[in-house]
Amino acid sequence: MTVTRREMLAVTAAALAAPLVPPGAAEAARAAGPAPKFFTPPEFALLDELAELIIPADAHSPGARAAGVASYIDFRLSESLEPERQASWRSGLQAVDALSRELHGRSFLDATPDQRVAVLTRIAAAEHEPKTPAEHFFPELKHWTARSYYTSKVGIHADQQYKGNVYQRGEYAGYDAK
Amino acid sequence: MTLVKSAPPMSQDVDLSKTYDAVVVGSGAAGGMAAHVLTSQGMDVLMLEAGKKLPIEQELRSMQWPYDHPRRGDAPPGYHSLSFNEYNIRTPPYAKGSTFKHVTSYVGGWGGSDYVKNILVDEKDHPYTGTKYAWVRARALGGKTNIWGRLALRLSDYDFKAKTHDGYGDDWPIAYADIEPYYDRVDRYLGISGVKENLPHLPDSLFQRPNKLTFGEVKLREGLKKMGRVLTPYRAGVTTDGLKHNRYRSKCYGRGACDRRPGGCDIHAAFDSPTGLIYPAVDTGHLKIRTNSIAHEVLVDSNTGKARGVAFVDSVTRKSYEAKAKVVIVAASTLESARLLLLSRSPQHPNGIGNSSGHVGHNFCEHVMGPGVTGLVKDLVGKPPTLDDGRPGGFYIPRFRNLKDRQPGFVRGYGFEGSGGFSIFPGNAFGTPGFGAQFKKEVRDHAGAFIGMGGFGEVLARYENYVDLDPDAKDAWGIPTLRFHYQFGDNERKMCEDMVAAGREMFEQAGIEVVGTDDKMLTEGWSIHELGTARMGSDPKTSVLNQFQQSHDVKNLFVVDGSSHVSASCQNPTWTIMALAWRSCEYLAGEFKKGNV
Repeated sequence: MTVTRREMLAVTAAALAAPLVPPGAAEAARAAGPAPKFFTPPEFALLDELAELIIPADAHSPGARAAGVASYIDFRLSESLEPERQASWRSGLQAVDALSRELHGRSFLDATPDQRVAVLTRIAAAEHEPKTPAEHFFPELKHWTARSYYTSKVGIHADQQYKGNVYQRGEYAGYDAK
Repeated sequence: MTLVKSAPPMSQDVDLSKTYDAVVVGSGAAGGMAAHVLTSQGMDVLMLEAGKKLPIEQELRSMQWPYDHPRRGDAPPGYHSLSFNEYNIRTPPYAKGSTFKHVTSYVGGWGGSDYVKNILVDEKDHPYTGTKYAWVRARALGGKTNIWGRLALRLSDYDFKAKTHDGYGDDWPIAYADIEPYYDRVDRYLGISGVKENLPHLPDSLFQRPNKLTFGEVKLREGLKKMGRVLTPYRAGVTTDGLKHNRYRSKCYGRGACDRRPGGCDIHAAFDSPTGLIYPAVDTGHLKIRTNSIAHEVLVDSNTGKARGVAFVDSVTRKSYEAKAKVVIVAASTLESARLLLLSRSPQHPNGIGNSSGHVGHNFCEHVMGPGVTGLVKDLVGKPPTLDDGRPGGFYIPRFRNLKDRQPGFVRGYGFEGSGGFSIFPGNAFGTPGFGAQFKKEVRDHAGAFIGMGGFGEVLARYENYVDLDPDAKDAWGIPTLRFHYQFGDNERKMCEDMVAAGREMFEQAGIEVVGTDDKMLTEGWSIHELGTARMGSDPKTSVLNQFQQSHDVKNLFVVDGSSHVSASCQNPTWTIMALAWRSCEYLAGEFKKGNV
């Protein structure tokens, strides 16, 4: 894979150690929509990308991005009355970005798709015994991504193809006890 | 779409200057049944309920899609539901010092706290003290029947005559034959679904159309047959065929919101006390209801020592009132009823009314739960989704221990509640490792392939397990709170160990791969089946009530809820509470007419 000009610029930017680099044009466009209520636009773009990596679109159904997972998490955090919880999401995203810089010398959103997966693979490996800040963030990120996705229209209908919550006017579905 | 045929009766003015035939404290399963039976016998009844009358359909919103709710069912910021850890690491009062504006019991955390936040009490206003206890209270017209789990089981002589069977504790002052006709009446009046199994230890009801089973549940049933055990479709206190005599309730349409909310049915196919019992009683013209009325003393006639009414405080205005009645019926729930009796001290009844035995608050028992097993039905992995949760419940495995056998480690028994198949939320998403396309596919392929069940075991009635009044602590209305002195014992621990082993064995016998077991006992109180604090018996020295739930000490005082139970059995108590209350209130009405109370 050739290094694009944008990625090269990103390496330079990383050296300046900004807390969060603004997302590339592509991510910004994808994350376009109503302005986030809690996260900054760069944080929101990062969350949106992480959620989509956890539950991606595939041949079967759309993924977390189409399901609006980042927007839902953003809304819940925006009205949260627990400052520690809000802070832990901010610092969690920063930890992911810091790990990306450490591994690849560039922010998460400026890393290549393979590099992004590598970062996530690294923190997911310790899912049940997290130690670093980024590892601690992953279970929370994944829990809320799953929770938001599988309660969304996309998750319930397109992915799970849930059959219930309907009036069954005849017999119940299922088998008789014999 | 609403299928409820009639709106609830309008609220009425309550005349407190008159003397009612009976005042009933509490509007749950027991109070509702008392109102039904007494009004149908022509008695004029006043019902006092501590909580609000809620627009319950708007609270429950049974068919609301998660994505149509701004917080996917969660309560707004400021609400907090207590967790297992909080109950165990801390001691009551659990809401003390909480930074949250509202604190509710763990039930709010079942996934849908917004739907129950107004039904459950705010722990901040309703503290209690003593040993750890997950006390779930619903102060609203209908009480906990607004959110109950619907499993409606009968007790048998293995329960009523348990001491005769194994030597522990005390027999009840009644036998199955005494209560059977009243179980039948409850079945017919309220509706129950299930399948006949002809088991001596779990008598059949008069069932309406049963639940169906899912593929995995059938597989487990087949496996259990080989072991001589039974898996039966959930015996749900739900009318599945409809009730021609009740214009407030619809039949069940298998809409399937039952399991993903903390109970509650906005078309009232599932029994709840307001639509099942109270509104029809109002229609007789003999029932008046006063909500927001917190009873704090049974008043006594100083000449006769008999009850003459109930003192209560209005929860909103905080004004004090008296309700006058010829008979007082306490049905405030096992623990609140004990509290009310203990609060009612007078020169005639210095230890609390009806408490000459000293047994009020004691012999407190319930069900222990927590241990369970999760299995994977491999045949189902990757199969297309089916409609599995459109029914009032999954399955029940009746008790199989200490019937003909004698377990070395414990007396009495336990049953399992469980279900398998697809539901609206794939719970396996939280346990599936990794991320990405593989994770997503794995969640999808396995979502309907799991089956799980958890045990409900009998907690022995022990005199040493009790509640009393805290000498210092008071609730938001200045009423002394309960103080708990209660803990599980060795019999419960041994029984719970056996639940895990037996659950595992049954899954293995059925060819279901065990993917997880839970051996943790949940906090005391978790089953919401507290019982026994004013037990029945034939000896006034060791019991509070006679076989008609009538106070040994005070002839016109009845306590018709779960506090009267002599032992917990392992079957869920609601149906027995109602059958007993029916029997007692019929007796009471007869005695009332004869002038004997």
